[in-house]
Amino acid sequence: MNAIAPPLPAAFAGRASFSGTGRAQGERGQVAQLRARSLLTAKTRVLVVAALFGLGTATALARIAQIGLFDRAPGMRSMTDRLLPPRGELTDRSGAPLARELPAYALWFNPKAFGEGKNASQGAISPLVRTPEEVARALMGVFPDADYADLVQRLKSDRPSYLRRRVLPEDANKIYALGEPALEFPRETERFYPQGSLAAHAVGYVDENGQGHVGMEEVLNARLIDPAQRGQPVALALDMRVQGALEDELGRAMGESNAKGAAGIVLDVETGEVVALASLPAFNPNRGDLAYNALVFNRVSNQVYELGSVVKPITIASAIDAGVVTDLSVRYPSGKPLSIDGRLIHDSHSFGASLNVPEALVHSSNIVTAQVADKLGAPALRQTMLNLGMSERPYIELPARGFPIWPKGNWSRITNMTVSYGHGMAISPLHLACAYAAMVNGGIWRPATLMKVEPGHAVQGRRVFKAATSARMRQLLRMIVEVGTGKKANAVGFRVGGKTGSAEKPGKHGYQKSALIATFAAAFPMDHPRYVVLASIDEPQGTQATSGQRTAAWNAAPAVGRLIPRIGPLLGVVPDAKRDVDISDVAPLVASGDGE
Amino acid sequence: MSLSARRLRSIGWLALLAVCATLVLVLTLRVNALRSQVRREENRIVALREETMYLQTEFETRASQQQLKAWNDVDFGYVAPGAGQYLENERQLAMLGKPAGPDAPAPVRLAELGDSANGLSGDAASTSGTAAAAYSGPSFPAMVSPLTGKPSGRAVRSDAVMRAPTGERLLATDDVDASGQAGSRADHAAATAALGERLGHVDLGGPGKAVRKPAHKPPAKSKANPDAAKTSKVKPQKLKAPKPKAAKPKLAKAKPASAGHKPKTHSTEKPA
Repeated sequence: MNAIAPPLPAAFAGRASFSGTGRAQGERGQVAQLRARSLLTAKTRVLVVAALFGLGTATALARIAQIGLFDRAPGMRSMTDRLLPPRGELTDRSGAPLARELPAYALWFNPKAFGEGKNASQGAISPLVRTPEEVARALMGVFPDADYADLVQRLKSDRPSYLRRRVLPEDANKIYALGEPALEFPRETERFYPQGSLAAHAVGYVDENGQGHVGMEEVLNARLIDPAQRGQPVALALDMRVQGALEDELGRAMGESNAKGAAGIVLDVETGEVVALASLPAFNPNRGDLAYNALVFNRVSNQVYELGSVVKPITIASAIDAGVVTDLSVRYPSGKPLSIDGRLIHDSHSFGASLNVPEALVHSSNIVTAQVADKLGAPALRQTMLNLGMSERPYIELPARGFPIWPKGNWSRITNMTVSYGHGMAISPLHLACAYAAMVNGGIWRPATLMKVEPGHAVQGRRVFKAATSARMRQLLRMIVEVGTGKKANAVGFRVGGKTGSAEKPGKHGYQKSALIATFAAAFPMDHPRYVVLASIDEPQGTQATSGQRTAAWNAAPAVGRLIPRIGPLLGVVPDAKRDVDISDVAPLVASGDGE
Repeated sequence: MSLSARRLRSIGWLALLAVCATLVLVLTLRVNALRSQVRREENRIVALREETMYLQTEFETRASQQQLKAWNDVDFGYVAPGAGQYLENERQLAMLGKPAGPDAPAPVRLAELGDSANGLSGDAASTSGTAAAAYSGPSFPAMVSPLTGKPSGRAVRSDAVMRAPTGERLLATDDVDASGQAGSRADHAAATAALGERLGHVDLGGPGKAVRKPAHKPPAKSKANPDAAKTSKVKPQKLKAPKPKAAKPKLAKAKPASAGHKPKTHSTEKPA
């Protein structure tokens, strides 16, 4: 338009200087020019409008294509992402949650709840309705373990801070009822353990930085935070019901014998799955800030002690397996202490002039066991112990695995004999449980695992004992419970077999007479063993409840005797008083009597 | 004419464009509406799942093993079933319903304390055998639940029945293996009695009438359900004042043990 406009004044100027025909021609020329210009203008406008419409149509079509083709997927992904927990869930073998992410309440002090203001030191209005001392006292009523001085200091400060994390809803309600607007409850995703301290050593805990510690939280840390895998919960081998019963009975045994601690394990003899693992006293994984203390020490897999007489069946099994003990009626002298290389091996008390092998187990005779080991020879017993993994850390996923105290080099005669009855070699209860599993399951040793094993996927394991040896050991272990030191573990109908062991703990000046480790290792049902149950009590005392006794027969064995009827039906073992392992061929060899 | 055709075409194009634009607008609006609806539903799903998980976790926490153990210690006192409470097969189950033969030995019976405050009730004392009749001590005080403060009278009495006569066991020796089993058997027997009482009566009263009257006694009572029939016969006091509230927890309590339990007679009378 502007390009056409300038000639117009010139045309009108020319019009004033001509007249007549010239004027008419000039007017027609002007009209034609005007028309041509108008046409050009119209065409230009149509072109612009058409271009706009074309653009709009193209945009609409593109949008339709975008909506139709690409817009659905991102929405779906977003919901999946939102449902994906920040850290994967841990469950027990039946799917009950052991650890999960939970939007928990935190208690947050916000001094600017009433807007910007000066702090208390400058004489301004406090954000609290009441005085900080009153509020702190009220908070102490809800959280008795809190630090009063620290609370007062925080409430007087003009800086916002956490007063507490992982507040239970009912506690949050109590604090809300105080009517303090400066106390806020932001919801934060926290690691939560619904079962509290149950199985704390096996599960572990997560610190404030989201890192797992102690148990499977540490072992599976990478798997649990991997976005590709954390949506699926990880099933552990633990059974919470069995775990609860185990901790309950161990706690009771601890209380009754006034002991320092206790350890217990329930192990599947066919798969090596750890159905329950307890180390008492336990810690509270829900307080990640306080969890790391001395109680995280795992007495099952990390503590190594000379476990004493519970090792004797392994020696006897090794001797039967090697063909050294073929006739169980052969008698060994046991009347007086055995003197080997200037050291005396003696029994807790005399069981008579001679004992055969079943009697030695029933009465728990060190003298006879040492003689059997001597006859077997150090290399054979050492090899059996090696095959049972006694020279290595226990096989389990946990990071806390104690290294056994293992006699180095070739064993001397006295080493062989002391190891035969459970001294001179320190192992963890987990070592012993795996060895007992091998001894009763037909002779196959398998590593223990805390991961659930699907049927048919058990580790192949390695053969340590012959099947016939295992069958004989089942008879002998059953007899120890029927007529020997393990009578108090004889749960009716569950065909329990096992061995007691009470060993003195080593101190600075040799063995301590007053400090025992009392252990009872058992398996049930002995006609077809399914589970090994081991209970170990640390430094039990003789109390009225234990008839003044502190050996395993009076604390660990009764605990197992109470535990097995509770867990047997849960694990699919139905009690049957009419069924038992046949011990008719070995029973006549044993006169009834008590030993340690 | 040609001009009008061209104009018409232009108008047609314009109309087409307008329709397209309108359709695009409508489509966009509908798509947006649907999308926000989907997002809202997604938000709801996420919120509900989180809430479900939260509630599940709270439930798991409140019903944790330690909590259940504490409850059981204080309030319920359940014990694991003993070996005698399991059945091996269907045949053993069928044996439980077998009527006694003509020359069968009299089944072992259990003495029972009456409801009266002074030891045995007249009925029970007069009909009981030697062991129960010998007992003349005071009645057992009702246990009171530390949580509810209400007496758990029947449970105590059934336990007391087991131990009452001079500490002797009144159950057959082959059936009682441990004291725990004896306790659960007593529970079962009490539960059977309560069930018999309930089944043996018909509520004839109207809505306001709470009194139950005993129904007819079936002629084949000892065969069909001997325990129920006998119990209803021996406990006249309970018939007059039925306590449905007391009977209900007793039944629930005996539930775990009832699957494989051999029914024990709970009366002091001979079978018909």
